[in-house]
Amino acid sequence: MASDDHHIPNGSTTTPPDIQFEFAHHDPAIARINNGSFGSCPSSVISAQQDWQLKWLQQPDDFYFNTLKPSILKARLIIRDLINADHVEEISIVDNATTAAAIVLQHVTWSFLSSQFQPGDAAIILHYAYGAVKKSLQAYVARAGGQIIEVKLPFPVNSDEEIIQEFRKALELGRMNGRKIRLALIDHITSMPSVVIPVKELVKMCREEDVDQIFVDGAHSIGCVDIDVKDIGADYYTSNLHKWFFCPPAVAFLYCKKSDILNQLHHPVVSHEYGNGLAIESSWIGTRDYSAQLVVPEVMDFVNRFDGGIDGIKKRNHEKVVEMAIMLAKAWGTHLGVPPHMCSSMAMVGLPACLGIFSHSDGLKLRAYLRDCFKVEVPIYHREPEKGEDSPITGYARISHQVYNTVEDYYKFRDAVNKLVNDGVTCAFLSD
Amino acid sequence: MEDPQANGDHNHNHIPKKLKLSSPSSFISDSEIRQEFAHHQLGIARINNGSFGSCPASIIAAQKQWQLRFLQQPDDFFFNHLQNGILRSRTLITSLINADHVDEVSIVDNATTAAAIVLQHVGWAFAEGRFQKGDAVVMLHCAFQAVKKSIEAYVTRAGGSVIVVQLPFPVHSDQEIIAEFRKGLAMGKAHGRKVRLAIIDHITSMPCVVIPVRELVQICREEGVEQVFVDAAHAIGSVHVDVKEIGADFYVSNLHKWFFCPPSVAFLYCRKSPIALDLHHPVVSHEYGNGLAIESAWIGTRDYSSQLVVPDVLDFVNRFEGGIAGIRKRNHDAVVRMGELLARAWGTHLGSPPEMCPSMAMVGLPSSLRISSDDDALKLRTHLRDHFEVEVPIYYQALKDGEIGGDNWDGRVAGYARISHQVYNTVDDYLKLRDAINQLVKDGVTCNNLP
Repeated sequence: MASDDHHIPNGSTTTPPDIQFEFAHHDPAIARINNGSFGSCPSSVISAQQDWQLKWLQQPDDFYFNTLKPSILKARLIIRDLINADHVEEISIVDNATTAAAIVLQHVTWSFLSSQFQPGDAAIILHYAYGAVKKSLQAYVARAGGQIIEVKLPFPVNSDEEIIQEFRKALELGRMNGRKIRLALIDHITSMPSVVIPVKELVKMCREEDVDQIFVDGAHSIGCVDIDVKDIGADYYTSNLHKWFFCPPAVAFLYCKKSDILNQLHHPVVSHEYGNGLAIESSWIGTRDYSAQLVVPEVMDFVNRFDGGIDGIKKRNHEKVVEMAIMLAKAWGTHLGVPPHMCSSMAMVGLPACLGIFSHSDGLKLRAYLRDCFKVEVPIYHREPEKGEDSPITGYARISHQVYNTVEDYYKFRDAVNKLVNDGVTCAFLSD
Repeated sequence: MEDPQANGDHNHNHIPKKLKLSSPSSFISDSEIRQEFAHHQLGIARINNGSFGSCPASIIAAQKQWQLRFLQQPDDFFFNHLQNGILRSRTLITSLINADHVDEVSIVDNATTAAAIVLQHVGWAFAEGRFQKGDAVVMLHCAFQAVKKSIEAYVTRAGGSVIVVQLPFPVHSDQEIIAEFRKGLAMGKAHGRKVRLAIIDHITSMPCVVIPVRELVQICREEGVEQVFVDAAHAIGSVHVDVKEIGADFYVSNLHKWFFCPPSVAFLYCRKSPIALDLHHPVVSHEYGNGLAIESAWIGTRDYSSQLVVPDVLDFVNRFEGGIAGIRKRNHDAVVRMGELLARAWGTHLGSPPEMCPSMAMVGLPSSLRISSDDDALKLRTHLRDHFEVEVPIYYQALKDGEIGGDNWDGRVAGYARISHQVYNTVDDYLKLRDAINQLVKDGVTCNNLP
């Protein structure tokens, strides 16, 4: 069972985890270079989760009355410290960033419906915002009368400055004709293409331009880049712990800076705790398996067995993924879509133009082909070329590096693509 | 567990697994049942299947297989197996409940989520002017607390009004319920209020009574109620469910209560209609706009494994004589027998006649315990758990208007135990409760002087 104290990192007495053992359940035949999509979970944490699940099954009433709430509180306290929040009330645990988005955006709906916001008031998002979040904006903001402004960001991108400029332009556009920008929704690390966004600067700009509220979608962030929510200064910040923080599916935190508005946020699945604050509401949304939320202490134990704890893991993942990306780009004669300092534990590597990736569905076809025929799991991004580009690179692989990856995974990918190129394969020839 | 990859066809019309009833010689034995529930805490008389359900070991094992499959190669799982697995479960449920079409069946976490889906839709109708301020939603006085809160959050907040219909308890017949409902609905509709939605429990939670839903739905139609939502959280695996016969627009039941699924999984049936097309899962993801069932099948990265074991559960129940119908009947008969045994032992009565009990029964508690409030009921429940190793929820029956109470506790039954019976229960569980209460009475314990 979980230990009660949180280990202070002590490299000399903790044994490094046996990585092979911890990830032995991963399909050994696959070069699994897509930790970004669905994350990963070591066996010691899975085993801890199963202990929690068993506890529930053994005596659910006792678990419900005596164990569940204090255990969720424990997880929230750890997260509060991890992200440098002030108060545990600011930390709610939900299933995933998708749920967090629904919570924040449903509140925007009510603001429109109660005439606190006027029709035409705007929400500003990145063009590369996650697809599910865009749909949520349709469902909750556009439907309620809000306008959505998308900030087109360049890709490939070369510096933070390019992003900051585009965002500034979009803010100005947003405020044209005296329109009010009620919400800025900014990714900390965009999903596709994957870029680390200079959120602190963008938040600052939003404040200067009188944007009401700022919501940072940091789905990938925790365990991948540094998070200091006070330093970033947003009103809301969410991140999935099952992506880069070794939790089982699914658990995320939603940080909501203490304010009058905090009391008005609600979980959309309304249960007994409605009105008792978002964190308490979220801790009971009907009978469910809450075990993924309870293993955060065990995950801390796990990461603290690594040299440098989670910071060491982040650093090494980043260095490795950049190294591998450069190796692949060299091997294929392409380039990185994003400079190293804007890569997280993921990197965008250009694919040879001769593969003919001309659409999103081409990217999907290629991904399936790599999975089925080469046993390589990696998501492919399609980008529209600019006018006048000469032999443009229109396809990028988003490679991830997590502690279980080895160099062989990337060599396998390198060789697969080289083979496709040598054989003259294009996406047009791949079956649907 | 059946290998999901063996059924790798992408044909959405594939025939559901035929239900095979075991031959007499191969029914599950008592010792096998004990093995299936060996993970239940020893020493506890677990007579509260109603609250959180139960799940046999073979289903837990099947679930673990699905969880492992995701962990092994989540991308492959997501692209190639998850949707087929969910469709398979939906198809089986469609047959189980006699729905017309699998499109009418969505899988969600629990009845609480289903309520949020239906009520959020009501909220939008107010917001977008399809409903007028003051239009009403009807609910039962004893509706589940979470549902009441959901009505507050989505209906009242959006400008709707709420009609509360009080049902009698103790109750003696369906007729009493029907009469009270008709009266309550008519009263609520006074002043020409338009009733947009009625939420009716199929089996109320506390106090637990089987409601004559078919008749109440009929009354709703006659009285011009636009839509009817049946909250049947307890129903599946507990009473017979035929959604066409019941005739409601929406019907939800939890499969993790009485249908042996792990936490948590429920189905929300939505009769085909233009309105059904406008229902949305509140957690909006990639599938938004593709219909509730498809939306609900992907609400972000999560563990969907409990939704995938429905085929395994059918295998499990079919190891019992008579399958799920046999289980229901035997649970009902046993809980009534045990309820009557307890009522005799304590000199009390059942809160409803046997035919209005599902696999649960409300048994009056001796008045000497002086249960005077919901808090008292909870204290007693905790005391029974901690000191007698009995798990059973206690219901506090408030005085009716005009009833003389005060200090007169003579024979007044103010509290009921809601006992459940599921396949793992034995007579000893109920004897333990009987003896615990008798001990408390003997010792002159009242809720007041409980620690």
